[in-house]
Amino acid sequence: MPSNPEVQVAASDHKGWGAGQAPVRLGKYLAIAKINLHQAIVYRSNVLGGLLFYTLFIFVFYSLWQAIYHGGEVQGYSLKQVVWYLSITELLVFGCRTPVFTQMNEDIKTGALAYQLIRPCHYVGYQFAGAVGRMIFNLACFGILAVVLGMVMVGPLPDYALTTLPCGILSACLGLIINFFLLMCLGLTAFRLEENSAFYLVYQKLVFMLGMFIPLEFLPGWLQRIARWLPFPYVAWAPARLLVAFSWPLFWQILPLQAIWALIAIGLSLLLYHQGMRGLQANGG
Amino acid sequence: MSKGHQLRSIFNLIGLYFRVNLASAMEYRSAFMIQAFGMVLSNGSFVFFWWIAFNQIGARIGGYDFTDVMFIWAVTSSAFGTANILFANMNHISRLIISGELDTFLLQPKSVLISVLCARTSLSAWGDLLYGFILIALTQGADGQAWLMYFCGLAIGALLMTAVAVTAHTLTFYLGDASTLAGMSVEFIVNFCIYPKGIYAGWVQVLMATLIPATFMVHLPLQLARQFDPLLFSGLLLVSAAYCALAWFFFYRGLRRYESGNLIVTRL
Repeated sequence: MPSNPEVQVAASDHKGWGAGQAPVRLGKYLAIAKINLHQAIVYRSNVLGGLLFYTLFIFVFYSLWQAIYHGGEVQGYSLKQVVWYLSITELLVFGCRTPVFTQMNEDIKTGALAYQLIRPCHYVGYQFAGAVGRMIFNLACFGILAVVLGMVMVGPLPDYALTTLPCGILSACLGLIINFFLLMCLGLTAFRLEENSAFYLVYQKLVFMLGMFIPLEFLPGWLQRIARWLPFPYVAWAPARLLVAFSWPLFWQILPLQAIWALIAIGLSLLLYHQGMRGLQANGG
Repeated sequence: MSKGHQLRSIFNLIGLYFRVNLASAMEYRSAFMIQAFGMVLSNGSFVFFWWIAFNQIGARIGGYDFTDVMFIWAVTSSAFGTANILFANMNHISRLIISGELDTFLLQPKSVLISVLCARTSLSAWGDLLYGFILIALTQGADGQAWLMYFCGLAIGALLMTAVAVTAHTLTFYLGDASTLAGMSVEFIVNFCIYPKGIYAGWVQVLMATLIPATFMVHLPLQLARQFDPLLFSGLLLVSAAYCALAWFFFYRGLRRYESGNLIVTRL
């Protein structure tokens, strides 16, 4: 199949994150993020269904954990902490979910990627900036709802130090970055595999099981030890744990690991993208 | 035509659609297998969740033990699978009404509602059906009563799930696009089916026996599996039939308000 020369030219211009000086480079990604944020605000009714589902999930889990707890603590978590923990993990994984996997799959399989390459920015950066814009809006909507539901269902966490909140938010941002780029890696496998949805299902369930539905501390010891070497708990468990039961030793233990996983995920997605681009062939339009 | 003859004609039609849909799915065997096994794997992760929950907490949660929770999970999963194998188009009724694609079905010589519902199947739903079966085999062993109520719950659950989805989508005839509401109704049913009934407050349990009939889909079949009561079983069948009849009536009542868009479509 002959390659489309136009696409090849565009792809060859596409090696860096964009031409020009640093402020200009960042400026265009900021503009993409702003456009996506604006779009999310304009089509805000789309988020209403999600908010209802979020409320349902939290209500069901609240009812479940209330039935489970008969006072006291389980693995160091009180009922209040578990409900807040679940509000945060659902906020990060469900509220801030991004369609990057399906988007990548579609772009690569349908050939729509060829049109994206004409844009004067790096494809991976373009997708990330767009996701950041949408996530800011979702984070605001679902974040407010999470706080309201937490307050109504179990009330505030006792002795909570607001000064540690920025550290928890930093960890949440890293969690979102890890999740986004791991999903991007899975989406990019479409360059080589026609059917890659099984990877997505497995990834989703690993994130669910290793921190989203239940804190890591609830798992058997041997599984906890394995899980801490994997990236999945650093998506939801790490930020939620820091937000509900912060401690400086834990923060300094978790944050470097999150940073390392974020770098690995970004590096891997860039590698997969460049490898995929080398083999890209597109015909016509 | 007598009622018995009508009913047989409906079952024949469902059977015919099933055979055609299955033959079509088998043309894409690898996609079919991946989707079905992907769903089994996906559902399997919840067994892990409950295993951890019961390991941490002990014997019972909301009045249910581990095998009880696995029973309601199995029935919900298989009922969802059956509904989406036989009646997958239930999720698209609003779109058909809005786009005018319902015209095609109005020309069919048999029941419009059955033709609409059966015109589509879901490949991943086979995974849901299979998962429920595996779960029952692994957790209930040779308990004949549990197996019997599993099959009854599967049929009742599939019909009730379809009835609720049809009723919710039928609102499109009256209110405009009700697809979001209808999607949510199925999600709500599934969510209230897969957790022990005892964890919910009284007002939620009232909802579960009326608007969201989760009680009739899984919780009563569980009760009957543990202690069979013919009177309760008869009541369950009657209530389920009433839900289906109501959905049927509501759909045909709404259909009177449908206006054709003169859309020309081809069904292959």
